[in-house]
Amino acid sequence: MTTAPTLSRPAQTSPPPGRSRLAILASVRLTVLLLALIAAVVLIGAWCPQEAQVGQQKVIDMFGPDVALELSRWGVTDIFHTPLFLLLIGFLTVNMVACSVQRVFPRARLLKQPMPLLSEREISRLTVNSELALPGAPHTGIARLAQGLKRCGYQVRVETDALTAEWGKLGRLAGTVTHIGLLTLLAGVTVSSWTGFSGFQAVPLHGKLTFGQSEHSKLWIGRLPDWSVRVDATRREDYESGDPKQWYSDLSVVDSQGRVLKRQEISVNNPLSYGGVDIYQSSWGLDQLVVSFNEHVRHLDLRQMGKVYAAFLPLDEETMFIFSVHDQVKPLRLFAKRPDWGAPRLLAEIPPGKSIKLGSVNLTYREVVPVTGLQYKSDPGFPAVIAAFVFIIAGAMLAAVPHRQVWAHARIANKDDALTGTAGTSGENACILAVGGRSAKAGRAFEKSLSSLLAKLSGDGQTLAGETI
Amino acid sequence: MSELQLAMTNTAGISSVMSFWVFVGSNAFRRPRELMLKLGLVVMVVGFLALTVAIGARGVDAGRFPLANLYESLLWFAWAVMGGFLIMQRLYPILHLGWLASLAAATMFLYGSWLPASQHEISPLVPALVSYWRQIHVPPLICSYAMFFLAGLSGLMQLWEAGRVRSLAWSLGSLMLGCTAIALGTFTSVDTFVLQAMFVGGSIAGLTGALLNLKQVMRTRVNAERAELYDEVAYRAIMIGFPLLTIGIITGGLWANHAWGTYWSWDPKESMALVTWLSYAAYIHLRIHRECSAEKLSLVTVAGMLLTLLTYLGFNSLGFGGLHSYGRFK
Ligand code: HEM
Repeated sequence: MTTAPTLSRPAQTSPPPGRSRLAILASVRLTVLLLALIAAVVLIGAWCPQEAQVGQQKVIDMFGPDVALELSRWGVTDIFHTPLFLLLIGFLTVNMVACSVQRVFPRARLLKQPMPLLSEREISRLTVNSELALPGAPHTGIARLAQGLKRCGYQVRVETDALTAEWGKLGRLAGTVTHIGLLTLLAGVTVSSWTGFSGFQAVPLHGKLTFGQSEHSKLWIGRLPDWSVRVDATRREDYESGDPKQWYSDLSVVDSQGRVLKRQEISVNNPLSYGGVDIYQSSWGLDQLVVSFNEHVRHLDLRQMGKVYAAFLPLDEETMFIFSVHDQVKPLRLFAKRPDWGAPRLLAEIPPGKSIKLGSVNLTYREVVPVTGLQYKSDPGFPAVIAAFVFIIAGAMLAAVPHRQVWAHARIANKDDALTGTAGTSGENACILAVGGRSAKAGRAFEKSLSSLLAKLSGDGQTLAGETI
Repeated sequence: MSELQLAMTNTAGISSVMSFWVFVGSNAFRRPRELMLKLGLVVMVVGFLALTVAIGARGVDAGRFPLANLYESLLWFAWAVMGGFLIMQRLYPILHLGWLASLAAATMFLYGSWLPASQHEISPLVPALVSYWRQIHVPPLICSYAMFFLAGLSGLMQLWEAGRVRSLAWSLGSLMLGCTAIALGTFTSVDTFVLQAMFVGGSIAGLTGALLNLKQVMRTRVNAERAELYDEVAYRAIMIGFPLLTIGIITGGLWANHAWGTYWSWDPKESMALVTWLSYAAYIHLRIHRECSAEKLSLVTVAGMLLTLLTYLGFNSLGFGGLHSYGRFK
């Protein structure tokens, strides 16, 4: 009667007749094929720089113009917008809906169904099974087993001389929960791409962010906001080394009449939300330098040169002024450069608002105008996406819970049971306990835990000769 | 680096090498096998504890969560491989797998210690990484990679115990090529296209070879019971790794949404993590389908391990960029 437990993998029950056409769409084989194909496409998309993310130039830099053109023609450089990719996602959706409705969601009903009681014979046919002799009447044997199982966290149902027990029942919901999450995700993403908008604008200090330029080609439903966002202040915070640590912008939301509706300071990782639109700090720089020569105001464009920003002003054929600023508070450094000098010479350091004399000219450092890079987006499908995230995580975690089922049946021992005569387990004082169970996901671990439980139980009883679990 | 951190990191590194040799020894000698297995386990526990302290000390020294560059992530990976193995050996009698887990941890230590010194130093964070999301997003990913590694190792053992020696050889060949490509990409300036071809070509060729040879069984080697055990261990490791990867990817999306206003931007590393996720989803469904032999499933775990390797280390060392450039240092 010894059963070397084997991981049995009974064939999947076939779908009811008359649904064969649906069956292909709902088959798990198709799922695996689709998942593998999508993975392959995404892998190619990860390998080849995508124009939509990094621009065409990067692709050309990497492969040279000829190969880049060829890749572009095959859609490899924008693979996530190719019909192939969308088609695969479409198939996956149909497959998931069909399979979920047909096979996965009905699983939820199983939760309510109690496990049936099994006879001694049926128990002996389970993948993991054992028989042991215990002192006392059958119901005491069952009661002791029930106690042991409960201590291991099983939900136990006792019926006089038999019991059923279950562990990790919720694990059976894994597929259902995950798939609900995935379908919700698809729904959320669809809503967003039909009604959302997003964009980026570099806004100088005191300038305004408006939404007219946003990428809303996909805006099928809904309209763009008529309010705008004014940059009241913006600054950078550095590490001691001079590397940037954080960027900040003080923003005001203003309506079309100029009334301020909301004020907030934003920074990287700390956006402003208003009217369903989120505004993010995404980059920062210095835009213009404002200086005056004898009250003659000039705006000079700044260029980033490593950690500083510089503006260039030719004085004559030979001489060039170089203005270098680091941020809004540190002094402006003025250099002059001539071809016969090896390196530019520092002429002066001018704190903001101060002036210096250069011969007959009074040079004043008025201000430096920073520019803040603001990213914005409106994403109406986002709540659904968040809900989907919760479901997907919960489902994946449930899938890690192995479902375990135990059945037991007890009867009074008789002469045919080859008891080896340990005290207390002979004659009418003993019961024979048939215990069996299964766990599709963790057969071996289940077997180990059940056998150690039974070993404890039979500390004063014994397993029948030749019986192993 | 503080004294404590240095001492503990070295202890952990040395322990992983030592436990490797003790576990190897236990396989070689018949007599004191049980004793040596236990000894190997003790050494590994010591290494694990030392590494826990080392990582903690690094966090205290840096005044931030100690997971911001490749070196630190390798420490975490080694930690998770050891920890994952310690958990799995409580569920299953798999101590004789210990040498492989130790080898994986020791390799990561070695790889980490060969990185340029700038990686070992504690450096300040760029604005994008200053966020509490960092400690929510990265550890689950590293731990999931570690679990997938353990699953792949179990898959290899399953092939061995099932007598699929040729398939095993092909699989090992593809792994070796992949690791070589990554090592060359990290420490030399071999052309990235060559390395990519080496990794991808090696993986495809190796796995195809392994699949074609799956029917070749060395009967004298077959230990069906152990093969079945490793099959289940691989599955359980994946079922722990999968939710961790799910959490890692999703929190990554939430972080990106918080910082840049978009939860998905098809950044190469993101896409790669998605590929890995989809592959393990395929594994799970193959298992549900119940038509696939345990040996084929083992090959899927090996393929998964290659993808994990590519996602974790390959992408940066084989010349890809993107937002997640903390792994780059050349
Ligand atoms: C696209 C079509 C898909 C189909 C037709 C499909 C089908 C199935 C089926 C039939 C089950 C078994 C349910 C059960 O026995 O309780 C299942 C489980 C599951 N599926 Fe899917 N699936 C699909 C996509 C996905 C995707 C993309 C994921 C993402 C990761 C996923 C994750 C899961 C999980 C976690 C389980 C639970 C596994 C377990 O209980 O061990 N599925 N799926």
